[in-house]
Amino acid sequence: MNILILNGGPSGGRGETCRLIKETVADESRAKDHAVTAYDLYGLNIKPCQGCFACWLKHPGMCAIKDDEEPILRSIIASDVLVWVSPVTFGGYSSALKKSLDRSIPSLLPFFAKLKGETHHPQRYDKRRNLLAFGTLPSPDAEAERIFHSLVRRNALNLDSIMTESRIIFEDTAEAQIAGQVREMFEAAEEAI
Amino acid sequence: MNTPTSSPIDKRKALLLIGSPKGKNSSSYALGGYLLGKLEAGGMATEEMTVAAALQSTENQHRMHKAVDAADLVVVAFPLYVDNIPAPLIQTLELIAERRKGRPGVSPSAGPLIQKLAAIVQCGFPETHQNQMAVDIMRQFAKEAGFAWAGGLAMGMGGSVAGKSLEKAGGMFRNVAKTLDMAAASLAAGGSIPEEATALMARPLMPRWLCVLAVNWGFRNDIKKRGARGRAHDRPY
Repeated sequence: MNILILNGGPSGGRGETCRLIKETVADESRAKDHAVTAYDLYGLNIKPCQGCFACWLKHPGMCAIKDDEEPILRSIIASDVLVWVSPVTFGGYSSALKKSLDRSIPSLLPFFAKLKGETHHPQRYDKRRNLLAFGTLPSPDAEAERIFHSLVRRNALNLDSIMTESRIIFEDTAEAQIAGQVREMFEAAEEAI
Repeated sequence: MNTPTSSPIDKRKALLLIGSPKGKNSSSYALGGYLLGKLEAGGMATEEMTVAAALQSTENQHRMHKAVDAADLVVVAFPLYVDNIPAPLIQTLELIAERRKGRPGVSPSAGPLIQKLAAIVQCGFPETHQNQMAVDIMRQFAKEAGFAWAGGLAMGMGGSVAGKSLEKAGGMFRNVAKTLDMAAASLAAGGSIPEEATALMARPLMPRWLCVLAVNWGFRNDIKKRGARGRAHDRPY
């Protein structure tokens, strides 16, 4: 399986738990002979989506901006399991992870279609994948946690993912416990493929 | 980058942050700018700036922070991007929240929330409820950054505004203008967006089937115009 990890945590500070999660997922994947690609998004040159729709209307499937997002888009399309890691930011994702997600719309078609009773953009490619999302928080915050889980569900609908799991990990969680939680989610994703 | 339209010292101040990368050519600005005009007519001093400009330089970030600090009301208008608020707006909110850490109102035990924050979000989909996560995130930002939440207006089929000013956009947007008038009257008086305004904004501009038909026709037409006829379903990777 192709495992793609997008880490939206900064280096140091709140990004430390994100780094641990990313490394645990990568180790777990390698131990099971899966191919792993991981990106630390904060360090990359990814410009924000300009909403120009050139990826839909001018050169379909390709973004007009040429920067570090292009290999990420290729990796997303080739992935079997997509893993997002981010500090929970006002209930959502960090700007670094969101910048990459905003730039992934070339993988969709422009047209409107009905999916599970709602209007969505259909997928450009046939391949579907599992989505695992890890959000980190310094301490419990019921509303931020609710928003995070709901947002992941909304994104899963747009991605038409096979299986979706989201998990909040508190930043004071011991490393061994983080590994346990990551393994649990990862095994569920493997079974679903 | 920021355009103060009026700023007498004794007036309450409203700041419009435009979260669309299309800036003042966007549907988000058409909605937010209309509201700002009504706030000004209601006696508030107003200022507007785009998020893109605010992030351009350290100097512009300082200007933005100064404008946020001075505002009694901050209105954030933006399009829905991937079920959420656009990345540059998240980055801006991260900067604002970081700067306001430790101020009154930011922690639950601290003083009263003096500054208010309202949001306007629009998406191209016919279902207004697809904007809900973005409204929830803005409300959570208000809580974490020490603003009093003044409510959110969410609109589906927002692409149909197509960056036109609401005054020129025609009768289809009569209810949208009415909604913004109601919201402005309440916000200018120091209140929040009335529930009635939120409900009116959520009403579809046209039947869902017609929206889907119009959008898909529009995309096909634009693809032809931009020289990509027959390539809409290309798979380059």
